[in-house]
Amino acid sequence: MLELRDVHVHIGKLHILQGVTFDIKPGESAALLGRNGVGKTTTLRAIMGLAARSGGKISFDGTDLSSVAPHKIPRLGIGYVPQGRGIFPNLSVLENLNIGTQGKRDTEREDYVFDCFPRLKERLKQSGNTLSGGEQQMLAIARCLMMRPKLIILDEPTEGIMPLLVSQIRREIHRINQSGVSILLVEQNVETALKLCPRVFLMEKGVVVYSGTSGELKTNTEIVHRYLGLSRKPAA
Amino acid sequence: MSGRALAERGLLAVFVVFLLTVPWSVPLLLNPFWVSVIAEILIWSLFAASANLLFGYVGLLSFGQALFFGFGMYGVGIGIDHFGLSFWPAFGLGIVAAMAMAFVSGILAVRLTWHYFAIITVVFSLIFYFIAVSAKSVTGGDDGINFALPPTFSFGTVQYSFADANFQYFFILAAVAICFLLMHLVVNSPLGKAFLAVRENDVRASLIGLNVYVIRLIAFVMAGFLAGVAGALFAFFGRYASASYMFYTFSGEAVVWAIVGGAGTLFGPVVGASLFIVIREVVSTHWEHHSLIVGVMAILVVILAPKGIVGLWRDWVDTPADSAEIPAAPELRTEP
Repeated sequence: MLELRDVHVHIGKLHILQGVTFDIKPGESAALLGRNGVGKTTTLRAIMGLAARSGGKISFDGTDLSSVAPHKIPRLGIGYVPQGRGIFPNLSVLENLNIGTQGKRDTEREDYVFDCFPRLKERLKQSGNTLSGGEQQMLAIARCLMMRPKLIILDEPTEGIMPLLVSQIRREIHRINQSGVSILLVEQNVETALKLCPRVFLMEKGVVVYSGTSGELKTNTEIVHRYLGLSRKPAA
Repeated sequence: MSGRALAERGLLAVFVVFLLTVPWSVPLLLNPFWVSVIAEILIWSLFAASANLLFGYVGLLSFGQALFFGFGMYGVGIGIDHFGLSFWPAFGLGIVAAMAMAFVSGILAVRLTWHYFAIITVVFSLIFYFIAVSAKSVTGGDDGINFALPPTFSFGTVQYSFADANFQYFFILAAVAICFLLMHLVVNSPLGKAFLAVRENDVRASLIGLNVYVIRLIAFVMAGFLAGVAGALFAFFGRYASASYMFYTFSGEAVVWAIVGGAGTLFGPVVGASLFIVIREVVSTHWEHHSLIVGVMAILVVILAPKGIVGLWRDWVDTPADSAEIPAAPELRTEP
């Protein structure tokens, strides 16, 4: 479905991505893990056409994304929930949901996202900036779902959110994946990532240094310590 | 219903009744001088609305609206004086010329944002200002073009033209009202919501499939249309077209009127233009430095009410009586 082959990105003189290679299969849920500054967000930005590639290839469902304008990439079926919510604060919840559907209301899809996130239905006319952090994150995911994506890329969706809502967001991400939508998750919270994603990629200094299952990673304390800086075995 | 809610509804009702009655009764209530001043205010409100559409709704600070205003003026002036056109074709020529210029300059300008965009709009304005000043055979240079008013409507021997001050006022009022109605429809449509999305975060907007470049270009041409209509109306109002109205500082005035009245609100430009033009008319007869008052007021509004006068009123209406102020400043980040 999504394939990255030897992707390089330079920002100024800095060589940020130094040959990233991994792939996501249809219906799969995978996590991209690593310490701060290893290039996780840059990888996501490269996929979405926001970071210019200096080498390598990214393709989605057989389409080479290098020739696709950034605004056309979501229409191919890739949804992106950026770090820090990514909603439009001065638009209402309903306007936020429909902004990506070219103004056409898709009530069937609205029902689906309200089923996933019932709190949003109670706040339809509220401005985005009056929602709590967790509700804003729900809105960002819901807006992405409105476009009926085949793959959703989530950049730290549980960052800075109260624990009660974290578990709800985690549950819904799992449910979205169960409905057949592929997930690529970037998380600092290793526990969340390992719970949600059977497949894991570890990044270090701009390359993927480990690819395996979450089960393998849980038992491999040396890798966890070396690449994630965790001194103990992550919780099961 | 609480007392406050009643007061809000009462205010809204008064405002609606005001809009439906007072503007149409002006010639009955005021002397010809003030009828003429209010007609001028309506034209400047439309001009400020064009700056507001770009700055308030799409986040593009344009100092080039005077260029399209000038094209609207010259479309009318050249159409009547050089080509012998009647009222409506000349009016149409002014609007089409302004929109065509907005489209051509917009293709280049909307690739840029923030100060780069502001600078390129100034550059376009300056280029065409100097062309207009130097091309005397076409534009009349510094003197501009004076022309005789053609009738607006002719029914046999009965003619209506801008020579009749009341007809002039009602025509301008109707034209401006139609433009504001169009703007109201646009900003409340999906396209209007896309404008706001682009204003709040263009990168984020592209991540949900919005073509930011095309949306900005559409807004730019629409703003050119509004400025063009204002320019064409002003040409009929003044019976002349002049390059002096194409200078970029003139665009700056529209930006100030829009910001003081309330950028990103439909009636903000009307409030801002009304306030400053009434001050000009009242104070200028007693004190030649009336611009100082305008400057001080603009500074005070920007500091004390950044959302302008209409924004301040709207906040008061929107804020529940028992809650703290709701933060609503748009994010100006470029990261998604």
